[in-house]
Amino acid sequence: MSRRPIIQMIGIEKIYPDGQYALRGVDFEVFEGEIHGILGENGAGKTTLMRILYGEIRPTRGRIFVRGREVRFSGPWDAIREGIGMVYQHFSLIPSFTVRENLYLSMLSMNKKIRREDIDEIAREYGEMIGFKISLDEVVEDLPIGVQQKIEILKTLMRGARILILDEPTSVLSPLETVELFKILRRLKESGYTIIYITHKLREIKGLTDRVTIMRRGRVVSVVETDKVSEEELAKMMIGSEEFVFKRSEVKRKEKTEKRRILEIRGVSVVDDKGVEKVREVYLEIFNGEILGLAGVQGNGQKELAEAIAGIKKVSRGRIFFNGLDITDLDVRERYRLGISYVPDSRGEALIYNMNLVENFILTSLERYMNSLKIIDWRRVRKDLLKAVERFDIKTRSLDLDVRFLSGGNQQKLIIAREFSRDPKLLIVSEPTHGLDIMSTIYVRDLLRKFRDSGRGVLLISSDLDEIYELSDRIAVINRGRIVITGDPKELPPEKIGYYIGI
Amino acid sequence: MISDIIVVSSLALTSMTPILLGSVGEIFTEKSGVVNIGIEGIFLLSALISLIITFVTEDPYLGLFTGFLIGAFAGFIHAVFAVYLKSDQIIVGVGFNMLAYGATVLMMVSIWQAHGASPTLPTKTYVISIPLGRDVITIHPLSIMAIGLAILFWWILEKTSLGLKIRACGEDPKSAEASGVNVYLMRIIATTVGGGLAGLGGAFLTVSWIGQFTRNISAGRGFIALANVAFSNWNPLTAILGALIFGIFDVLALYVPIKLSSLYGIVFTTQNNLFLTIPYLATIIIVMIISRRIKMPRSLGTPYIKE
Repeated sequence: MSRRPIIQMIGIEKIYPDGQYALRGVDFEVFEGEIHGILGENGAGKTTLMRILYGEIRPTRGRIFVRGREVRFSGPWDAIREGIGMVYQHFSLIPSFTVRENLYLSMLSMNKKIRREDIDEIAREYGEMIGFKISLDEVVEDLPIGVQQKIEILKTLMRGARILILDEPTSVLSPLETVELFKILRRLKESGYTIIYITHKLREIKGLTDRVTIMRRGRVVSVVETDKVSEEELAKMMIGSEEFVFKRSEVKRKEKTEKRRILEIRGVSVVDDKGVEKVREVYLEIFNGEILGLAGVQGNGQKELAEAIAGIKKVSRGRIFFNGLDITDLDVRERYRLGISYVPDSRGEALIYNMNLVENFILTSLERYMNSLKIIDWRRVRKDLLKAVERFDIKTRSLDLDVRFLSGGNQQKLIIAREFSRDPKLLIVSEPTHGLDIMSTIYVRDLLRKFRDSGRGVLLISSDLDEIYELSDRIAVINRGRIVITGDPKELPPEKIGYYIGI
Repeated sequence: MISDIIVVSSLALTSMTPILLGSVGEIFTEKSGVVNIGIEGIFLLSALISLIITFVTEDPYLGLFTGFLIGAFAGFIHAVFAVYLKSDQIIVGVGFNMLAYGATVLMMVSIWQAHGASPTLPTKTYVISIPLGRDVITIHPLSIMAIGLAILFWWILEKTSLGLKIRACGEDPKSAEASGVNVYLMRIIATTVGGGLAGLGGAFLTVSWIGQFTRNISAGRGFIALANVAFSNWNPLTAILGALIFGIFDVLALYVPIKLSSLYGIVFTTQNNLFLTIPYLATIIIVMIISRRIKMPRSLGTPYIKE
């Protein structure tokens, strides 16, 4: 690895028009041919810094040098011309276009004279380099996320990028896809590419990068060589040591006096809107004081199963029992009244972004706050919400703020606060910590544990195996709509689970 | 019977023309992500102004060209509202339609002191006449040209890089921008050109077809063109078929009562209005049937806001 800096950013400041500081004077340097990590929590300024480097955002102050020459980007085009490419967290592919159309579109900005037929040749060439083959006639949205990401990388390479920026690339990937992505990145490094890798996951930093820049609250805290620090040290730098005194909940787990079955799913099948059977004859049980972790790659029937339990989707076969009562034919509201609670995987589904905290807080429990005339007692709502905000440590300027202005972590806390305040007996929760920073993740996981310890049941759906292992008392794996294995986490090592997830 | 079919077809070809031009223009516009429901207003404005130009210059082709320019200008104004000012495109369109209606009536009254209709043009554009038994069927070259334009715009959208860029803006402007497409520029171009096509359709109404301007001459054809956009599933080729169907219903509204009265000697007076509802009823029914399978551009009608 040469020690020649290929990118230097000096004194970068970004102040948004509303006066908010995103970056407070950042110096950043990347060497040619290295994999350089940028580590930081949500809101630390990682993505902003990279979007400045990619010409998407103009810095308020500061200078940028590429290969020693000062540059001033007025848009991504300029950055692309300097050989800088960005692979977004949310891909910049057009879903309804074919792979060829997408590649052609992006190549047009480089070379106006290029023909559609030329694309095949170039795509094959770069595809071989990273070991990736794809039929260019496929429509992008029909492809798995992992493949879409590879197309995105391919696209960036085809545009002549020598410096690749990846923004939280694994947040949408399965463990297997992550492994494949890392292979590609290492291959690129061997071919002399420079890679900037943004993440908040310590393990990825340790496993992949050569050097890492750690950011916190718009500042660079430290730049270190990765193999000279431990994960724990990285975590401390990222969070700030003064805040890293987090106590795990002290609630003693009640000894299970008797094992009571809260939920029983008997041979349930669910057909989705397109008529495809997404859940196939699933048998599952959840007991009180238990977290059942349902592992699997997203899109294998988890959502349909969760919605079938919540009553949002009808089952096509089978019965569902809740505390011994057959609830198969009850509607959502009746099931919620019995004590079932559902937190869907996307926060946009659980919250209405353009409504404020108060309104969102009572969405699932309107009846509790209505008098006989169906008028909502807002004073009582606010009182309860204030308590919840305090208890769940939801950070907001005001209760009247639209929830879209809350951070992801605070949104998730609000959802959980709302569901907890209904005092459910069974919580179905899907990807509860997806996209959250470390502190929020710890907090949410702790809440789930407390909930379990108070003698209630949790169905935890997660594609994050670490999360499954950290929380679950029992693990089940779902694959193409079937439960392929259930068991005790101690007897099921991750490799085995990985195998069942992948087959 | 056969002569009926031929006559209706040739008439339908004429009444299809503005609908087709409007539809193709709107498809082009909407593929870029802008919705312009001001087609009706463009029809009215360019119908009147192209007529005035033809009166002054005695050149109907200059009139047609002016119609195109008027439409393009209206499209451009709409694009400025939609793209730069991020206005609600539906409201801008509604406002434009109302403005166009009022303005054309006002102009008609102040120029000709006429409240219902303008004088008739001495010269319209060239018409191909083919004698057929007792009837003479007439075909406007612009009708053929409209079909040609539909094919051309299909080709532009599907086969050229400009078309790809425009479609990208309508599907996912953010990704398009990231791919190096100038979203604003594409939307401006598509909306301006699309408006121009509609303007040509409006000019056709007066300069080629009817020869005079009457109050609300477009009579909802702009909205039928919008319905045809959905009917055609945003495909200019299918839009030809759709426009023809709508054109046939348009003709039937006039032809059926005349035929009935000539066959059975029934004289329709106020009942005539019932027949006039045929094209609109047909529009509603057709849109109801097809609205289940439509696949519109995903970012249609949403302004693209850069950070």
